[in-house]
Amino acid sequence: MSDQTPRTGRQRLVAGLWPPRLTRAQLTVAVLLFALGLGLAIQVRSTSDNDTLRGARQEDLVRILTELDNRSQRLEDEKRGLDQQRSQLESSSDQAAEARKQTQEKARELGVLAGTVAARGPGIVLTVRDPHGGVGSDSVLDTVEELRAAGAEAIQINGVRVVAGTYFTDGAGGVLIDGHRVAQPYVFKVIGNPPDLEPALNIPGGVVQTLEKEQATADVVRSQKIVVDALRPSEQPDYARSSQ
Amino acid sequence: MIAVLGLVVGVVVGLVVRPVVPSGVEPYLPIAVVAALDAVFGGLRAMLDGIFDDKVFVVSFLSNVVVAALIVFLGDKLGVGAQLSTGVVVVLGIRIFSNAAAIRRHVFRA
Repeated sequence: MSDQTPRTGRQRLVAGLWPPRLTRAQLTVAVLLFALGLGLAIQVRSTSDNDTLRGARQEDLVRILTELDNRSQRLEDEKRGLDQQRSQLESSSDQAAEARKQTQEKARELGVLAGTVAARGPGIVLTVRDPHGGVGSDSVLDTVEELRAAGAEAIQINGVRVVAGTYFTDGAGGVLIDGHRVAQPYVFKVIGNPPDLEPALNIPGGVVQTLEKEQATADVVRSQKIVVDALRPSEQPDYARSSQ
Repeated sequence: MIAVLGLVVGVVVGLVVRPVVPSGVEPYLPIAVVAALDAVFGGLRAMLDGIFDDKVFVVSFLSNVVVAALIVFLGDKLGVGAQLSTGVVVVLGIRIFSNAAAIRRHVFRA
């Protein structure tokens, strides 16, 4: 085509494109352009692959590797710190849960003593019938003292819980417990060890005999399931505070 | 026409066959492709100027590819491969642009 001289570039381009001629020049250029197209396609494909590390040169790879090493080092440090924090939190929350459990158990035990929670367990029921009115507050107090001495842990008399501050007075027609009139018969529900409690009442010269001397009858019944469910309101002391 | 067909066939074969390039040649392929592009633009310009010669085209094509790959290879050995390949791409890019400008003047007369 180079020998067809008096033509413009555009005409030469068109003449080269059409009609297709099988010349040596066309064939060599076609072979070279085939190689170029092949390389182009391979390069485009390998670049568009996500594998950007393919074809990266050595120094870049070393730099990338160093960065990754530093990064994994930092992440490792972070992970170690977080692990430590987690174990600290776990152990402290375990300790807090244990302390809370112990405190709750303590509160329940103290609640039984203070009469603010109901209690159940083995014990006895003592029923005192006094048709002649001979049983006074002193007899009831003696009975309670005897029961406490025998290891009674929770006592209620006709729906009134007996606690440390309970007092007994004589009123018109009966005994007042903490100011509450208590109707006959007096039913003592006592939680404690029954084999300890019953003999303590029945010993010669003990509570039962003393009551019988007052023309009253006393029945003691053992039971494995006594429920003491009379409650007292829990009172916050006005002045005394825990010293701990 | 046959030359253009050769280019198209090459692209299609490269995309379809997925030939595996040996890893030793791989870093030099992009530079070689850019160098070949420069040779192709130069050949196109020569054709439009009416001075195209297939022997010159073959020699310039192959020498472009070989020299570009050689420069990058040397740069890699000297530890300045990245910079040298950037330089080669810049030079070839400038040449491609000037050739493209000449082609444009021929084709569009502007």
